Amino acid sequence: MKNALKAPRRTMEKKLSLAGLLFVIPFFIWYGVFQLFPILYSFYLSFFQWDGIGVKEYIGIQNYIKLFTKDPYFFKSIGNTVLIMVGYLPITLILGLLLAILLFEPRIRGKRFFQTTQFLPYIVAPVACGLLFMLLFDWGTGTINQILIALGLIEEGINWLGNPTMARIVLVIMQCWRQLGYVVTIYLAGLTGISPELLEAAEIDGAGKFQKIRYIIVPLLKNTTLFLTVTGIIDGFQMFDAPKMLFTTGQVGAHAGGPQRSCLTPVWYLYDTAFGGNSASNMGYASVIAYGLFLFILIVSIINYKISARKGED
Amino acid sequence: MVKKRINICISLFILLAVTIIAIFPFYMMLIMSTYKTSELSKAISMLPGNYFFENLRRIISGGFLNYYGNSVYISVVTTVLCVFMSALTGYGFAKFKFRLNKPLMMVIVGCMMIPMQLGLVGYVIEMRAFHLVNTREAVMVMSVANCFGVFWMTQFIRSTVPDSVIESARLDGCSELGIFFKIILAYIRPGIATLVILQFMWNWNSYLLPLVILNDASLYPITLGIATLGNRYSADYAAQICALALGTMPIIVVFIAGSKYFIQGLTAGDVKG
Repeated sequence: MKNALKAPRRTMEKKLSLAGLLFVIPFFIWYGVFQLFPILYSFYLSFFQWDGIGVKEYIGIQNYIKLFTKDPYFFKSIGNTVLIMVGYLPITLILGLLLAILLFEPRIRGKRFFQTTQFLPYIVAPVACGLLFMLLFDWGTGTINQILIALGLIEEGINWLGNPTMARIVLVIMQCWRQLGYVVTIYLAGLTGISPELLEAAEIDGAGKFQKIRYIIVPLLKNTTLFLTVTGIIDGFQMFDAPKMLFTTGQVGAHAGGPQRSCLTPVWYLYDTAFGGNSASNMGYASVIAYGLFLFILIVSIINYKISARKGED
Repeated sequence: MVKKRINICISLFILLAVTIIAIFPFYMMLIMSTYKTSELSKAISMLPGNYFFENLRRIISGGFLNYYGNSVYISVVTTVLCVFMSALTGYGFAKFKFRLNKPLMMVIVGCMMIPMQLGLVGYVIEMRAFHLVNTREAVMVMSVANCFGVFWMTQFIRSTVPDSVIESARLDGCSELGIFFKIILAYIRPGIATLVILQFMWNWNSYLLPLVILNDASLYPITLGIATLGNRYSADYAAQICALALGTMPIIVVFIAGSKYFIQGLTAGDVKG
């Protein structure tokens, strides 16, 4: 009697586990064909010298050796990205947290309005932002120079996009402008997770606004800050659209990376090496750049994982 | 009490200032699109001019509407396929016990970290082998299997669909696919809305992939159209700005209409951290 009941249940379980597998299998087939295979094929290509058309020439790990020892541009592109990130990440995180705290105040009206408008730059295509900033920061006709001149702050227009330092500053300004609303929104979500009693208790104990931020809000939002920093760094390493737009429109034959390649990013370098058309394209070497970049992203992810894991133990 | 009121006023002032900074470039974009190029270099004006329709005419005769069609086609089809596949896979992960469930989910979470650029070269070569280079379909298929989408849907189905509903449907003799189409999809509508908006934005704004896949200007989406404006209207700033305004407005409208779902989706990204 018992067995007679068990048997159908077991076949039912088997049937269901098969059904579950069938639900997820199509995804993995699709992912395998259109994402995993290209990633592995890129890895295979990284051992070859190949212009994409002619014969592939096996050169072992020569590409990797070149990337890490001889290539002046790869580490420059990483360095550029790091410099630009050091410029905008702290600013957006600090300003974002402060703005989120302002918005969190229950008596502020029009929260939705502020949040939505401040978010707008984030949803517009980076390409469009790049072109927009290129036009606004144009040497001759740009609005920014016109405003600065009208205000009497400068006498002659600044050549924002022609000078390595200024070019990076424009990118930093653009990134701040683009990311701030996003950071505010994420912090705001974090703030709603803090129990109001805790903040009230602190207030009763006589904590001022800054003490509350310093001793309660900042420590409690540590995870949010970690998340924003890590995803910010990973996104930053993938910058491409906006810098490319800022520095190549209309300049036929100009080399990649803006003035003195000060805004060359790893992805831009990858693109230029494989598809740029300025020199002979090199698919093998472009693949190595991709893996080199991935290595940096992986390191950031592992550090993130280590920090989170350590927190879990506390 | 008075001090508190002053504080609120200061807060409002700061928030308003940030809002103005956030939308000022867009405002300037709209204003500048209503002037002639020769007027743009003279002096700034904060009020619209009367040259908008002339700029618009030049942009449209330059084939800009074609870019719209391509962007809509690519974004809509990719988003629908991606969200459907994410829901299907998420349902499998959330509500079925099978031996590979946990390991495969870990693969998904791990793959979320992989940047799209890693396989870019290989993908282009693969598309050449499939004879899909310079087709819009090649831009679409890569983004259909999206690990974040699956992760998001798994979490959403786990937390919103009760097991009892599925079990009673099963007892009524409903097939597994029938349960998914008739019951699950109805339950997870808000989750679908969020994912649709996110995916639509990502696909609409995508630049690098169409850039390396498409050579033929008649197949360009708006991002590529914007990027090549400089070549086509090199001295014509007004036309460039007008085209830029046309290209960015749709996504702004979509965002404002669905900002609730949008913000929900982005803040949910916190979970994965």
